[in-house]
Amino acid sequence: MTFAVQCLNDRTGKGEGRPAFYVMKALFTFQLRIAVFFCLFMVGTLRMAAQNRVELVFAYGSEKEEWINEATAAFNRLGAKTAEGRVIHVQGLPMGSGECMDRVANGSLKANLVSPASGIFIKLANAEVRTRTGKDLVGETENLVLSPVVIAVWKPMAEALGWGTKPVGWSEILSLSKNPDGWGSLQAPQWGQFKLGHTHPEFSNSGLISILAETYAGAGKTAGLSLGDVTRPEVEDFVRGIEGTIVHYGASTGFFGKKMFQQGPGYLSAAVLYENMIIEANSGKYSLPFPVVAIYPKEGTFWSDHPVGVVDAEWNSAEQRRAAKRYVQFLLAPEQQRRALAFGFRPGLVDIPLASPLDKAHGVDPSEPKTTLEVPKPEVIRAVGQLWQKAKKHSRVVLVMDTSGSMNSGGRIENARKGAAQMLRLMKDEDTFSLLAFNARINWALHSQQLAQGRATAEKTIASLWANGGTALYDAILAAHEDLQKSPDTGKISAVVVLTDGLDTNSKTSLEVLMKAIRFDSEQNNTRVFTIAYGEDANKAILQQIADATQAKSYSGTPENIESVFKDISTFF
Amino acid sequence: MSDEPKLTLIGKLFLLLILGACAAGAFWAFNRHSAAAPGTASGAGVASSSASAIPGPSEAVPSGGNASQATSPSGVGSIEIGVAYGTEKKRWLEWAAEEFPKTAAGRGIQVNLIPLGSIEAAQAITGGDKRIDAWTPAADLYTDTFVREFELKHGRTPISQQEQLALTPMVFVSWGERTQSFMVRYKEMTFKTVGEALKASGGWGGIAQKPDWGFYKFAHTHPSQSNSGLMALLLMAYDFHDKTRGLTMADILDPKFQGWMVDIESSVVEFPNSTGNLMKDMVLKGPSSFDCVLVYESVAIDYLKNAEGRWGTLQVTYPRKNLWSNNPYYVLATPWSDSRRQAAATALMKFLISEPAQKMALVHGFRPGNPAVPILFPESPFTTGQKFGLKVDLNGICESPKGEVIHNLLVGWNNNVRPH
Repeated sequence: MTFAVQCLNDRTGKGEGRPAFYVMKALFTFQLRIAVFFCLFMVGTLRMAAQNRVELVFAYGSEKEEWINEATAAFNRLGAKTAEGRVIHVQGLPMGSGECMDRVANGSLKANLVSPASGIFIKLANAEVRTRTGKDLVGETENLVLSPVVIAVWKPMAEALGWGTKPVGWSEILSLSKNPDGWGSLQAPQWGQFKLGHTHPEFSNSGLISILAETYAGAGKTAGLSLGDVTRPEVEDFVRGIEGTIVHYGASTGFFGKKMFQQGPGYLSAAVLYENMIIEANSGKYSLPFPVVAIYPKEGTFWSDHPVGVVDAEWNSAEQRRAAKRYVQFLLAPEQQRRALAFGFRPGLVDIPLASPLDKAHGVDPSEPKTTLEVPKPEVIRAVGQLWQKAKKHSRVVLVMDTSGSMNSGGRIENARKGAAQMLRLMKDEDTFSLLAFNARINWALHSQQLAQGRATAEKTIASLWANGGTALYDAILAAHEDLQKSPDTGKISAVVVLTDGLDTNSKTSLEVLMKAIRFDSEQNNTRVFTIAYGEDANKAILQQIADATQAKSYSGTPENIESVFKDISTFF
Repeated sequence: MSDEPKLTLIGKLFLLLILGACAAGAFWAFNRHSAAAPGTASGAGVASSSASAIPGPSEAVPSGGNASQATSPSGVGSIEIGVAYGTEKKRWLEWAAEEFPKTAAGRGIQVNLIPLGSIEAAQAITGGDKRIDAWTPAADLYTDTFVREFELKHGRTPISQQEQLALTPMVFVSWGERTQSFMVRYKEMTFKTVGEALKASGGWGGIAQKPDWGFYKFAHTHPSQSNSGLMALLLMAYDFHDKTRGLTMADILDPKFQGWMVDIESSVVEFPNSTGNLMKDMVLKGPSSFDCVLVYESVAIDYLKNAEGRWGTLQVTYPRKNLWSNNPYYVLATPWSDSRRQAAATALMKFLISEPAQKMALVHGFRPGNPAVPILFPESPFTTGQKFGLKVDLNGICESPKGEVIHNLLVGWNNNVRPH
C-alpha cells in the first residue's frame, strides 16, 4: 500500500506540497469502488455456492450432540458432492428424541435424516405414520453408536445396594423406596431417603425406557410384555413404588446428569442415564464428591442404539436421500467411530474394538449388560404410558405470575397467558394448581385447585389476568414457597413457577431473606422454584440464583418463545 | 474536482492486482472441495475408509482378467443400475460396488445397492419396482415362485442371465464360554437341545448354574422376510424327521412336528428381517441380546474377529442337517429394462465371478462359486477359523424341497407362531 501511495501523481502539475488529504481521498475513492466491486463479486460467489449446495437437515437425539457437532463440521469441511456435482451441507438439529420424531411425523420439521436415541421412537413414529399414509416414515436404519441405559449411582451408595458383590436392579431400589428408614435400612442413615431421577417419558427416550424397564421388572419378564401384564395390579404397585422415589421429571437426560454431578448425592441418589454420561462424569469434567458407577439392572435394560435413517417424505428429494446416505457412511467410517468411543459411546461399527474409556476405571463395565429387554409392540408401549400416568408422582404447582404494568408492553401479558395455559394443559388431572398473581401486592387468584375438577376454572382464571402496578417479586415468591412448605407432601412434586419481566420494586422481603427461606434441603425444604426472566428488563442473574438455590432451572422467555418455555417446565411434573 | 489527486496507472494496476488476487483466492476457496474429493462424491475421507484394507481395482481385476473381458456396455456413457440383494452379502457387495466402476468393464456404471429380503425383493420386482436391474438373493428357494408370478403378471420371463456367485451353509453361532456350558449340559447343539434350553426353568440358572446370564436367548430371522429364517424352518423339519431328502407335505403337516416347531419358535426372542443385521446386533449388543443365533456360515465368518474385540470369542456349530445357500445372481429382463441396463448388470455379474472378486468373497466368508478359487490355504478364513469351529467338509446336506412344501411350512409358521 505504501508503494501505491508513492505512485500518486498530481494531475494539476502541482504535485509537491499538495495536502496529504487529497492523496488519501483519491486512494479512498478508488478503494471504495474496488470494495463495492469486491462485495458484488462475493455476493455472486455466495449465491453460486448456495445454488451448488444440497442442504440436509439432520434431527437427532441431543445425547450425542458433542460428537455429532464435531463429526458434522468435519463432513462439511470435506465438501463431499452428490452425483449431480453439488456440495453436501449438513445442518444438525439436536433435540429430545420424542420431539424429534413427533415433529418429523407431523411434518412441522422437514428433516431429511433422523437419529433418535432409540429405535423405540422409530417404531412408534412408523406405526403412527403408517396408519395415515400406509408406509413407514423411516425405512432401513443403522446404529450410529450404542449406549446402554443404566442407573447411575454414587459409588458408596451402589456398594450399599450390593453393587460389586451381587446383581443389582430395580427390585433393590423398590425395597429401599418402600422402607420408611430409607438408606437407614442399609446401615447408612446419614444419606436420608433414596432419591431417584428420570426424565419425562412423553418427551425423552431415557424416561420412556425407564418406565418400560420398571414395567418389565414388575411383570418378571424380559420379552413379550403384553397388555395383560400392564394391567396386573402387582405391576402397577411395582411401578408406583419406584416412581414414589422420583425427585422430579424433566425433558433432558443431560440436565439430570449435569445436575446430579454438580449438586452431589443430596440432590439425587441415582438417575437413569446413558452409560456414556457416567464415563464423561468420571473423566474429570465435574468435581465429584464420589465416583459414579453404572448399575446395569439385573432384570434387564434397553440399548440406546441411536438408529439413523432417511426420512421417506415428499420433501426429501432423491438427491437429498443419496446425500444423506453419504453422510451416514461418513459417520460410520472408522475415524468418526473412534471419536465416538472417545466420547464414551460404544461404536456402531463392529470393526472398532471396545477400549478405554469404556472400562471400570470410568465406572462402567463393557461386559454388561447381561440382559436386554424386547421392545414391546406400539399398543403395549402406549399402555405402559397410561400406567405411568396413574402411578407417577403427581405435582403441586404454584404459578407466580407478574401482572405489573410493564407486562402490558409488546404483547407480554397475552403471550404469558397463552404459555401458562399451555402448561396447564400438560399437567395431569391428579395435579394441584394454584395461581398467585402479583404486582405491588400479592393476590391468590386460585388456591390448591385439583385439576380433575378445576381445570376449566384454572383456565378461565389465567385468561382473566391483566396488568397494572408495581412489582413485589420477592414477597410473591416467598408467599408461594411458604404455602407449599406449610403442608409438606413428600408423595408429590412441589414446585413454584415464577414469571416476571422486571426488577423487584415493592417487596418488604429482601433478597437475602428470600434466599435463606427457599434454599433447598433434601429432607425438609424441598420445594423447587423455576424462574422465567421474561423480556430484557428482568434480572436474569437474580432469577438464576433463585432457581439454583432450589436446584431447579431458570429460563429466558420472550413473548415469542414463552409457550415452549412453559412446555419445557411442565416436563418436570 | 479535477484538482484532486488521482491514482497513476501503475497505482491502479497494483490495486487491481490485489483485487484479482482476492478474486482468485475466493474462486479457489469455492472450488477447493472438489479438488479434495477427486472422482468420488463421497470425498477422500469416506472412500478411503473402507477401501484401505482391501485390494485396489488394479489388483482386483488385472488386465486381461475375466472382468475386464466382460461385455462392456460400451457407448452407454454414464449409467446407474440397481441391485437388490440380501444383507448377508452386504460387505462383499459394497466392496464390489466401489471397485467395479474402476475396472474397464465397469467404467461409467454406478451400482446402487438395494437391501431387500428375498420375498420382499421378489414382490418388488413383480410389482414393477423400476430401480431393480439385477437381483441376488441368498438362495434360489423363491425363484420358481417368483418366475411364475412374474410371467403371470407381465407375460414374459424375468431372468435373462444367471450365475451362482457363492455357497454357504447354515451355522449356529454362540458365545464361547456359554457354548461350553451348553455342551456340558446338553452334549450337542441341535434344534432339539436349543429348544430344551429355551424352555429351561430359571434360564441359565437351570442350565449351568449361571443365573446372571439371564434366560437362554436364541434367534433366527423372520421366515417370511428373510431366506435364512426359512432355512431355519426347513432344517427343523429335516432334523425332526431325520432325513436329508424327500421332505413331503405329510412331514410338514404332521401334528407332532407342528407342535414341536411351534414350541421352539414361541420362545425365540426376536425374528429380525435380515441375517446381516441379526449377526451385527449379536456382536454389537453381546450376550445380553442373544446367546445363540442361526445364520449363514459366511455371515458368521465376517463377524468372528469383530466379536473378539467386543465381548469375547464366538463359536460356530454346524447343525446335523444342513442346506446350501447358493447366492444366485439374476440379470432381469423386465419390460421397463433396456439392453444398456442389462449389459451393465451382466458386466457386474461377470466381475463378481471373476477370480479377484471371488477371492474377496472368500475373505467375507463365502465358499467361492468359481471353482478356480481354492478354499484352503494358510490365510483362508476356513484355515484360520478352525479354532472357532469352522470346517470345510459337511455331512447331512439336504435337498431343496418342492415349492408347495416350502409354502405350507410358511403358512404353518404364520398361523401358529406369534408374528412380530
